Amino acid sequence: MDVGKWNFNDDEQPPYPTVEVVLSSADRKATISPKVDTGFNGLLAIGREAVRRLRVTPAGTVLVKTATAPSEAPLYLVNLSQPDLAVTYKTLAIGTERSLVGRLLLENRTWLLDCKKGRFCIIKHRVANREDLSPPAQ
Amino acid sequence: MIRPFVEAVRVFKSEPFRSADLVEKLGYATGYARNFLSQAVRQGLLIAESRKGKREKTFKANPNVVREIVLRGGKEKEEFLEALGLHSRYLGEYVALRGFRVVDHDLDLYRLGERVFSTREEQYEIVVTNVGTPKKIITVEI
Repeated sequence: MDVGKWNFNDDEQPPYPTVEVVLSSADRKATISPKVDTGFNGLLAIGREAVRRLRVTPAGTVLVKTATAPSEAPLYLVNLSQPDLAVTYKTLAIGTERSLVGRLLLENRTWLLDCKKGRFCIIKHRVANREDLSPPAQ
Repeated sequence: MIRPFVEAVRVFKSEPFRSADLVEKLGYATGYARNFLSQAVRQGLLIAESRKGKREKTFKANPNVVREIVLRGGKEKEEFLEALGLHSRYLGEYVALRGFRVVDHDLDLYRLGERVFSTREEQYEIVVTNVGTPKKIITVEI
């Protein structure tokens, strides 16, 4: 079993889990560590700082549901890649105050939320070797 | 300015119309119609065209305005999409627009984005938005 791990961010208390992702636009690239937000049912939200670094312009607007009321947010077209998850997407990201990854990135994977060591880990199951599957010698 | 423009779009969509059509179909006074047309052309909302051999100009909604209105968002956007007739066909869905044309639509924002932006070269001319409240709305912290 292998694990890919990312440290919690402690810029707020208690610290929160993050996942490092690489974003790119037509001519810019940025590595960011968005907050993992299980309340977000989308894939990616990018904050103002990431929008500025990527120099992306809106590709649309969309009505989203927030804790307080529905709100309209810009959409940005970005390339997202995460080597440990072996994913690369050209996707629409929601423009928000700060960057977030949502449940679409988490689904169908096994995660370990280690709040003691302040780490968020992806559990990667290796296929066992053929020898491992052989019955023990008598 | 946006209100009479939206009304013109509601009636004529992207088809050309004359000043007299505004008077006849929208009940505007002749002076008001002329004033609106000259202002709307100046603001880039309408495109004026002179037909060969005809003295009277025709006008049609500028397709570039669609992107601007969608990106501004708010009530104006919803009224505009309703005037385009999108509420009757795509209510609760996400649509991808290129000018006045709906190039694709889906209940799922990400599925739509994947289809529309994966292959098209004209992706910077396309704008994506919701029509009414999405049935599959995104929940997020803003």
